[in-house]
Amino acid sequence: MSEPMIDLLRNLPSATPDPARAERTRVRCRTRLSAVAPPVATVPKPLGWKTQLWQPLIAVLGCAYVAEAVVQALRSYGRP
Amino acid sequence: MDRDTELALVERLREGDAAAFDDVHLAFNSRVFTFLLRLSRRRDVAEDLLEETWLRFVKHGRRLRADTRLGPWLFTVARNLHVSYQRSRALENSATAGLMALWPTGSHRSSPFEETAASELERRIEQALAELPTAGREVLLLVGVAGLAHSDAADVCGLTPEALRQRLHRARQALSRALERDATGEISGMERVTS
Repeated sequence: MSEPMIDLLRNLPSATPDPARAERTRVRCRTRLSAVAPPVATVPKPLGWKTQLWQPLIAVLGCAYVAEAVVQALRSYGRP
Repeated sequence: MDRDTELALVERLREGDAAAFDDVHLAFNSRVFTFLLRLSRRRDVAEDLLEETWLRFVKHGRRLRADTRLGPWLFTVARNLHVSYQRSRALENSATAGLMALWPTGSHRSSPFEETAASELERRIEQALAELPTAGREVLLLVGVAGLAHSDAADVCGLTPEALRQRLHRARQALSRALERDATGEISGMERVTS
């Protein structure tokens, strides 16, 4: 772009928005920005010994129950 | 605003620092408003679009990329909002064109800048700018008035640098022609008065 044209455009006055509304917008945006909690990296807590014992126990019992249910179902309906 | 300051501001925004938002608001509020006002030629529309621009900015504040360039980001949102506004207005106009044709209107409506222009030259430039098609006006405003680099202005408008260069060249020529036409018109008008 030619320099005289740049100078003409650069020297144009800038406008100012309504100060009251600009302030309201600024405060609103500020509140919004700080309202959202920062993403905190969560560190998993070490499990207690009771939890460590119960979890596999429940899993084993659950599997045994399902297996037995399947066996019973086959026994009842699987064969004539 | 130098690049280091800008990067530091972006980092603070990503952490949700409200004071960083104040700094960005202070640096860009008037610039983006001036751009929107010259683009829309209506103060109420420019105020609405400016508010929406800032709301979108804070909505994405925490997700900004670390290398975000704030100026181009804000001008892109502002420009896209104006494009959406123009589309919705075009739909409204097409729906009410029949009715509006019955209403007596002036051929040229002054922009807020024209009304408050301090000098005759300023008034002529504002008028010539206002008469340009939006596509030409926006590139002149981004490069000439807002001072964006060509590459940034191309990003804002979604153009290749070459396409922006061509559009800028055509817009500049159109602006020059409009200014010359205005000056010639005034001279011939003066001649008519004096003869």
